[in-house]
Amino acid sequence: MRILLVEDNEMNRDMLSRRLQRRGYEVIIAVDGQQGVGMAKSEAPDLILMDMSLPVIDGWEATRTLKAAPETMHIPVIALTAHAMSTDREKALEAGCDDYDTKPIELSRLLGKMEALLGGNKAQDTGTEEGS
Amino acid sequence: MTELPKEIEDAVQHMLPPTLLHDLRTPLSHILGYSELLIEQMQEAGHQEFIPYLERIRTAGHQLLEMMTDNFSAGPAEGAPKI
Repeated sequence: MRILLVEDNEMNRDMLSRRLQRRGYEVIIAVDGQQGVGMAKSEAPDLILMDMSLPVIDGWEATRTLKAAPETMHIPVIALTAHAMSTDREKALEAGCDDYDTKPIELSRLLGKMEALLGGNKAQDTGTEEGS
Repeated sequence: MTELPKEIEDAVQHMLPPTLLHDLRTPLSHILGYSELLIEQMQEAGHQEFIPYLERIRTAGHQLLEMMTDNFSAGPAEGAPKI
């Protein structure tokens, strides 16, 4: 399964991509909303993890763009935000996100949401150990 | 977790810049995420001697998150961590 992680914070990118790769997911990365929209169209990921506070265009606008485009509207989007307010969840869902989770990431919870949206198709455990 | 009196909580919330809680959660995410990643890697590599120290870091991070969630937010959103 190919996951597009759209995240501007370098440590969040490194941490989450490593943890997902350890569980067999292929992770591709965009560092702002505009790049995220472009990679969603060019790379056709199975699921998108979208930070909301992003440069260039934010996660809400990027999600609205993806959900309005025929070639990307079917791709599930999970919003990730450090704003743990109930209004942020509503705002993300209104933008078209399929689910929502908060930072700090609790990986088991996030994996459950990802697997639910991926139709129960778990990543294959390749046993691959990421580099240092 | 001991909750702050309502009047103190309200006063503190008014003193905090709106972005501070968001900004505090970012480095806290790094502390929790990397400690959990290292615990996984140490377990796989058989370095059991490091795990108790990493678990202390993770526990301290969760305690800090719990304090922030309980005292300085308008209530956890759905999907927010329940520590």
